[in-house]
Amino acid sequence: MADRSPDDLPFGRRRRSAAGALVAILVALLLGALLNAPAMKKTAQELPFGAARSFRLALIDPLAAVSHWLFLDRPARLTAEALGKPDPGPTGAPLVVLVTPRPRPSGKPGPAATVKPLPPPRRGDPLRLYIGGDSMAGVPGMALTNLAKDTGVMQPKLDYHISSGLCRPDFFNWPAQLVSQAQALHPGAAVVMFGANDQQGVQAANGKVYAFETGGWKTEYRRRVRDAMDILFDGGVKRIYWIGQPIMPEAVFSRHMRVLNEIYRSEARKRSGVRYIDAYRLLSTGSGAYSDYLKDEKGRLQQVREGDGTHFTYAGGMRLARVVLAAIKADWLPKKKSGAVPGSPSPSPRAPAKASPAP
Amino acid sequence: MLFPTITFAVFFLVVFVGNWLLMPRPHLWKPFILLASFVFYGWWEWRFVLLLALSALANWLFAAAIARSGTAAGRKWLLAVAVAANLGVLGWFKYYGFFITSMVNVLEVFGLNADIALLRIVLPVGISFLTFRVLSYVIDVYRGKLRTASLIDFAVYVSFFPYIMAGPIARAGEVLPQLVSPRDPRRIDTARAFFLIFAGLAKKMLLADYLATHIVNGVFTTPGQYTSLEVLFGIIGYSVQIYCDFSAYADIAIGISLLLGFQLPDNFNAPYTAVSVQDFWRRWHMTLSRWLRDYLYIPLGGNRKGRTRTYMNIMVTMLLGGLWHGAGWPFVFWGGLHGASQVVEHRRVDRRRQRAQRLERRTTALNGEGAGDAGVVAEAGAGAAAGGSSAPLEYDRRPWYGGVWPRLGVFAFVTFAWVFFRSPTFGAALSVLGRLFQSWGGIGAAVTPALLLVIALGIGIQYVPRSLYERTEAGFSALNPVLQGVVLAAGFVLLDVLGPSGPASFLYFRF
Repeated sequence: MADRSPDDLPFGRRRRSAAGALVAILVALLLGALLNAPAMKKTAQELPFGAARSFRLALIDPLAAVSHWLFLDRPARLTAEALGKPDPGPTGAPLVVLVTPRPRPSGKPGPAATVKPLPPPRRGDPLRLYIGGDSMAGVPGMALTNLAKDTGVMQPKLDYHISSGLCRPDFFNWPAQLVSQAQALHPGAAVVMFGANDQQGVQAANGKVYAFETGGWKTEYRRRVRDAMDILFDGGVKRIYWIGQPIMPEAVFSRHMRVLNEIYRSEARKRSGVRYIDAYRLLSTGSGAYSDYLKDEKGRLQQVREGDGTHFTYAGGMRLARVVLAAIKADWLPKKKSGAVPGSPSPSPRAPAKASPAP
Repeated sequence: MLFPTITFAVFFLVVFVGNWLLMPRPHLWKPFILLASFVFYGWWEWRFVLLLALSALANWLFAAAIARSGTAAGRKWLLAVAVAANLGVLGWFKYYGFFITSMVNVLEVFGLNADIALLRIVLPVGISFLTFRVLSYVIDVYRGKLRTASLIDFAVYVSFFPYIMAGPIARAGEVLPQLVSPRDPRRIDTARAFFLIFAGLAKKMLLADYLATHIVNGVFTTPGQYTSLEVLFGIIGYSVQIYCDFSAYADIAIGISLLLGFQLPDNFNAPYTAVSVQDFWRRWHMTLSRWLRDYLYIPLGGNRKGRTRTYMNIMVTMLLGGLWHGAGWPFVFWGGLHGASQVVEHRRVDRRRQRAQRLERRTTALNGEGAGDAGVVAEAGAGAAAGGSSAPLEYDRRPWYGGVWPRLGVFAFVTFAWVFFRSPTFGAALSVLGRLFQSWGGIGAAVTPALLLVIALGIGIQYVPRSLYERTEAGFSALNPVLQGVVLAAGFVLLDVLGPSGPASFLYFRF
């Protein structure tokens, strides 16, 4: 297939025919697919529930089986293991995570919480601030990190994971992440933002998959929100600042965000230690509409949303971060003359909650 | 559609087969490749396929009208309308927000409250590249360098999918002649094509994406969280990241085109080995540099109108080049930095030339040669002083060991300038730079051996002699196609294991 005639290419490089190129491409793709079948299966499994996911899995499952049978999935796995990388195949992560039920300590959480003054942070003993969420939390988290660091009495830690959410712990297990981060960082306050990737089906403990917005979906999602809050409280967090979703350019997308926000807001209301940050209103115009551009407090017009209309520009993230920081300061650094000291639930004397996969 | 995805692999397989089956029948091949390009572009946002088609049609009509126009004035007017229309479309999509916010905020300073209804404008991917492609065609037709093409040929040139998103900015004169006759299916430079595709993927997945997630994104968004040393490596890391990311796209685009039988111009030539900023721009985004040179710098007068005018032309070209990259003042400033540095270089070289000429005149006078010869020298000197000399800069004539300091200096300058390119605002850029001087207490957790290795690799690959790459390609080309496929499969899997999970978008898509 090679053209063996003298050529103009350096060092005698040979040209090939289109047929030869096609053979090389087909071998590369087919063998590559077999060698990489575990990773392809993992990617397919992480797709939102629905026909596309089922179709992709129907194609890949036999391929993965052949790959396994021929030992072709081993090289990638062994290479990953040797390099200390995670296994490229499906991780066996659960679709449902249940937080271990435990008796609630008196007054925590709940509107009748025992009021205890929050320990004011100092330079030598700063407020450890955990900031977590999906890609939407990224830019506001960065802005908040910069602002919090500037106070000199806060120690922020940003932990965001793109495409993640509460619906699919098999893609990214947020309950487990929150448990581990709480144990590792001992944060006094947590700022979290989820939801933009949660407009998808969710599997409940009974094995049923509920479509977005259905009654079953709302019940299951509410439980997950509640569990996330409980995990943080049990990990020693005294205040949670839960950021709702902002308005979106498309009406349907915005309605979905309002569905999510209603759940966050109502769950926050049930707990004295949770502050709900209304990003929807904050990122809307005076007339309640969507705009890429908003004026800041000095009257300067700024682009607050990226070209995709979803994510925040740095100015937009800063707009949100300032409001969050004000809420944190109101709780942790109250002005002496104001008199009212924000309440705090008692610290939990027990071990943190454990997030475990549903049976 | 992103290159490193299964979706693209399937798409390309179909296009590859269709491409070579239909190649002998151009009346079928051209609509096929056009449709494939529309599918590729429309995969991201189908509505912008219409913009692409309209741009092709409108510019084809402009060029046809220019070619048919009987008067020089008419041709000039038509060209002006074409340029204004294309820049208007670019301005509307890319700079609307920039201009509106700048204008409103300036009015605000004077106490004027401009309550303008703001529109939401989605930026079509690659519109800056598209604009430059179509303008090159219209201008070359105007200049008489190019004959008008058929509509289908021009549409294929405008929307050819390998380069539609992020270049290289292939000119009509480079692509259209390749559409005239079918490509030879027996003579494909597959080894180079596969090598470029693989090298591109490796640069993108192993180097660029690693640097972005490991240090660069963090340093540029939350510099206060990092030590000064980490910030320094974050800044250097961005230098390496943007090269690996952008050159990766160009490599893959060129490789894919080669597999389809087409040759595209190179876009990078080891830019961090440059010994001057001018040299850097001869090696970095080469197709943009020559576009700016041929369609902006030279029409402005280039170096033909005296020293001051040359400097001004350089500044204007680089400032507009900065603005081309992004709608924001930091981009303009970045362009200004590069422009100013080139002016300084020109000035230094001009002065050295003048000194050399004075010395030569004196020597000639001392040797008692004729006045006629001295006049010739003076005349040549005047030409050189005006910048008309084609003699290489002195930097270029240094031996390799003499180039170490200039190379380091250019790299340091370019890296410094990237800080403004990467930062959304001046304040953010100054925060990053300021952090360089605030926390020299420790090394920082982000400075790891892996990071140093990746940075060294990203720079080191530019110092590998080209012949070594060519020998590797020649060795690969000697393998039979099945073995080539096996090697590629193993390589792709290794990239997948080593690389990050999920494909990341290329940086230059946003430009």
